[in-house]
Amino acid sequence: MKIKKKTLWLLCCISASIIVILGFTVLAIPANTFEPQLFGLPYALWVSILLSVLLVVLTILGTLVHPGNRQTEEE
Amino acid sequence: MIPILITIAAVYLGALVTFSLITRQKNKDSVSYFLAGSKLGSVLGIFTLAATLFSTFTMIGMPDFFRTHGVGSWLFLAFSDAAMVFAIISVGYYLRKKAKRENFKGLSGLMVQCYKNKSAGYITFVGAFIFLVPYVAIQIRGIAIFLKATFPEALPIWGWATIIIVIMLIYSEVGGLKAIIYSDMLQGLILLLIICIIAYNCVAEFGNLANLFAKVEQVNEKLLSVPGPKGLFTPQFLIASFVAIVMIPFTQPQVVTRIIIMKNHRSLFRMAIGLGVFALIIIFATLCIGMYGAVKYPDLSTADFISQALIADQSNLVAAFAILGLVAAAISTSDSQIFALGGELRSLLTGEDRKMLKITRIAIVFFAIVVFIFSLLTSDELVMLARTSFAGTALMAPMIFTAIFSERKLKMYIPICTAIAMLLFIGSMLEVVPNTILGLRMDLLLIIVLTLISLLLNYFGHQKKSVNPIG
Repeated sequence: MKIKKKTLWLLCCISASIIVILGFTVLAIPANTFEPQLFGLPYALWVSILLSVLLVVLTILGTLVHPGNRQTEEE
Repeated sequence: MIPILITIAAVYLGALVTFSLITRQKNKDSVSYFLAGSKLGSVLGIFTLAATLFSTFTMIGMPDFFRTHGVGSWLFLAFSDAAMVFAIISVGYYLRKKAKRENFKGLSGLMVQCYKNKSAGYITFVGAFIFLVPYVAIQIRGIAIFLKATFPEALPIWGWATIIIVIMLIYSEVGGLKAIIYSDMLQGLILLLIICIIAYNCVAEFGNLANLFAKVEQVNEKLLSVPGPKGLFTPQFLIASFVAIVMIPFTQPQVVTRIIIMKNHRSLFRMAIGLGVFALIIIFATLCIGMYGAVKYPDLSTADFISQALIADQSNLVAAFAILGLVAAAISTSDSQIFALGGELRSLLTGEDRKMLKITRIAIVFFAIVVFIFSLLTSDELVMLARTSFAGTALMAPMIFTAIFSERKLKMYIPICTAIAMLLFIGSMLEVVPNTILGLRMDLLLIIVLTLISLLLNYFGHQKKSVNPIG
């Protein structure tokens, strides 16, 4: 169980790193381009909003599998 | 609007006085005065951290930044903040463990304990002082300029700045960190509610978001992509800003303290999640206000644009709350930072607690006076100055991370390199040292070099300890 959590936590960290790297590539912020739009939002904006939301979701998942989430009782 | 403003301002001041008086009785030693008893729950944690982080820089600076530089501002701040909350749960956990082991009193004190040398603490304290003072000063200046633009006949800029600093000093000196935290809760709530209402009104003026962005496209389509109309958002600028912002929770003492005084790890985790959600909501609201400004007020100065969008274009009730929200935002960030500088000084002092507490309280007044003077001299570029402050304190990150994670006996090499890096960074701002070297921005280059030096020294320059300190 402990090993599984550790693996999941590691997976969260790797996913967060990938998202961060993606955020600075032309995939997320192509220069001088605002198409394709989504609900009227320009491309760079909706992609970076999506990536930001993903990071917060990963934070939520991360707190569930973080090595420290069972240590409340010790404090 | 004036009667409404006077009424809510009186209620707000009454609340601040109440918080100070309630918490006053309990502040008998440094731990309760500077660390609020170290049992902060997650809800209070969210709001105190949010109020500390999201300030005049967010409420005035970010709408103006979106209006001037376009949608790349989201990546600059919101994306970095989202990564920052992930960093809080990743590194914050180890920071808390280390702080608990070393009997945390302040970041500077922690560095003294970890590096077994007082100079490491002085470097941390001086770094925090140099880079936080301008940041606090721009909060005060930002709000004073805004109040001057809104009430041109009432007071000069220095008059508004004086009132804000006096209010802040009275309740933080009397009530300590607990009073600040309670008032942060109130200020965070006002900030969140008001900025969302104003953003809604801004979008409603155009019908919906799609219409708003269609209008922005007609006015200046460069606002809809990077690098923006003025070419600011280059990959290097964004990456350097990202690093600086993600490091805030571990390098800025007012944030470090709040992470450490959370009741337990679970409270910390909940606080991080709440902070992430809070950040995205607030920054999205500033995006809407900024885009509204790009269409309606593209050529106004920052103060005039904010005065129009947040006050003149709103109902009297919303406008009155917006003014209070802006003042509250400036106060909540400034008091936390000035108080944190006091805490840092206290963590370096040794001697009888009561006497040291008294010295530190006097020092807090001195810090406030320095901030006041600086607020009269600094420039109006809120976001860029805030970014410089973040970049400056971020240079301490490799030193702090080594202290948190290293299992070796630490020597003074890394703190000395950090001090040199901070001097070089200041030199580059004063244009004594080049701003870029080999095509790399100075702040980015320095953080890369410091990180490499810290990693190398950790493996080759320090002896292994006989006992594992992290455990």
